[in-house]
Amino acid sequence: MAKKDPYSLTTILMLLPGVGFIVFFIGSSITLTVLQSFGLYSLTGESQFTFSFWKSILLSREALDSLKFSLKMGLLSSVGTVLVAFPLALFFRKAGAGKGLLGSIIKIPLFIPALVAAFLILNLISYHGLINTVLMRLGLISEPKRMLNDSFGWGVVTIQVWKNLPFVLLILMSAISSIRDDTIDAARNLGAGYWSILFRIYIPLAMPGILVAMILMFIKAFGDFPITSVAGPIYPASVAMRMQTMAHIFQEWNQAAVLGVIIIVTTFFVVWAYSRFAELVQGDN
Amino acid sequence: MATLRLKNLVKKFDEVVAVDHINLDVADGEFVTLLGPSGCGKTTTLRTIAGFYYPDEGEVYFGDRIMNNVPPNKRDTAMCFQSYALFPHMTVWDNISFGLKMRKIPQSEQKKRIEKAMEMLSLEDLGKRKPGQLSGGQQQRVALARSIVTEPQALLFDEPLSNLDAKLRVQVRVEIREMQKRLGITAIYVTHDQDEALAISDRIVIMNQGRIEQLGDPYTIYRKPETRFVAGFIGLANIFDAEVAAVTGNICTMNTSFGQIVIDATGQELPAPGDTVYLSFRPEDMKIRDRESANQITGIVDQVVFMGDVTDLFIEVKGFKMRAQSDDEAKISPGDRVTFGVSPRAFSILRR
Repeated sequence: MAKKDPYSLTTILMLLPGVGFIVFFIGSSITLTVLQSFGLYSLTGESQFTFSFWKSILLSREALDSLKFSLKMGLLSSVGTVLVAFPLALFFRKAGAGKGLLGSIIKIPLFIPALVAAFLILNLISYHGLINTVLMRLGLISEPKRMLNDSFGWGVVTIQVWKNLPFVLLILMSAISSIRDDTIDAARNLGAGYWSILFRIYIPLAMPGILVAMILMFIKAFGDFPITSVAGPIYPASVAMRMQTMAHIFQEWNQAAVLGVIIIVTTFFVVWAYSRFAELVQGDN
Repeated sequence: MATLRLKNLVKKFDEVVAVDHINLDVADGEFVTLLGPSGCGKTTTLRTIAGFYYPDEGEVYFGDRIMNNVPPNKRDTAMCFQSYALFPHMTVWDNISFGLKMRKIPQSEQKKRIEKAMEMLSLEDLGKRKPGQLSGGQQQRVALARSIVTEPQALLFDEPLSNLDAKLRVQVRVEIREMQKRLGITAIYVTHDQDEALAISDRIVIMNQGRIEQLGDPYTIYRKPETRFVAGFIGLANIFDAEVAAVTGNICTMNTSFGQIVIDATGQELPAPGDTVYLSFRPEDMKIRDRESANQITGIVDQVVFMGDVTDLFIEVKGFKMRAQSDDEAKISPGDRVTFGVSPRAFSILRR
């Protein structure tokens, strides 16, 4: 068979709306943001190449605290969600009585926007929320516990885990459902107990799915705006929140661009690290 | 190594009785095959022995010990699956060592056993490969190595050869049998392939609808089937109705739709005159040059099918279709009128 040119005119025309959109809008806006972070194409003031915006962000304690906080939230949320979702995914591996209904209930947060989700959870964990009220009435605590706007950010992590559980669950369930029953039976037959099967069969075989889930969760939580603004600590703000403050309150569009570039670069770095790690895990297979 | 006993074993799935009061004693080092059509309960029986299913009634014994509630990982059996069920993320070496690691066998002993098993199954050069890089035959040999290194009480095979091509199937089944004999491990083998069962087993259990139809060595199962099902399931058989006319010693005279025949029922349960029974005999028992036998059957050749080593003949005998075999030197063509001799010893009397 003669070798065909993989990109005929028709192919290019058909790809154009999709790929062209991404290349044009996303590509141009990323380029602009990067240029703005160096003082070019400024929306306000003069345009001039300079490192000063990078300097002022990298030397500001607030910005670095925000970066640290966002990294912490990204990491804890991704680990936390996977830790909660993995046992659930194992539980849903086999159909059983009532599991259909349970599965639907778990998926509810998937259809609730992040901001709304944050407000819903607010009712539960706020200072005068349901949990504190119940614990007080039961006499288990003498004064309400601060679970929201806590300085560490546990409130944010809790909402991230709850909100993204169904999404991560879907990824993990598809990873686990590809593991054959025979493989599990073989391991049991060879003497493996529950924990051995979990650590030697389920987790390694589901690893590609686990990594994908963790990376997507990290990106979501790292760049989060709504949940942190509702449930996050008074200080520091997340990088995305700081970006908004910079641009809208301080009118520092170039510094906001620097923060935007930091988010993008961090995301790319994480994806790169993931693919390296995936290669290591998969080996030469 | 151990003896294995199933006592009144029953396994139900909801209302469906998959295994229906099975009794079976397997001697130490014996190779027993469970043979039957799909849905006959053979795999369920095997999985109950392995511990993947718990029996609803009856007992599973290894030696004198009741195993009913012992989980599969504590049973010390080793199973070979139809899908091989190798761990796709582990190398051949790690696959084989899995059972040894679970049993916390010391490293040096592990190495010794794995190397021995790999040598036995000619897997020496494949230790670092992953299952995905192996052919079906190689994967099956890795699965075998993985089951024998743990020196289990019983080897369990669940149609291990059905994913291999015909030639390889014969080769691997010889390997399985030789290995089992050498190691002296009790083996239970499930298959729906009668050739495999006849070739490999010390004894065969023919199962049908959750029950045992017949239990015996391959020769007895083939030559002396006891039920209509067994006669029809194993090999080719001519099966027909007969009425017992007379019984003299072990010699029975029978009336059939194509005339009177004489049977030597030595070793079989004798019927009484007036009983109606099924009779069966094998196509290869119709001897075209046999003029001596008491039973001479004449019919018209309907079809001749050349099969290579033998020629299959379809013959119409007074409205009854029979199958016979001949060598090609007989030069028979459709429409020929031929007479066959069938020895009185060739017939089996089947329970109704």
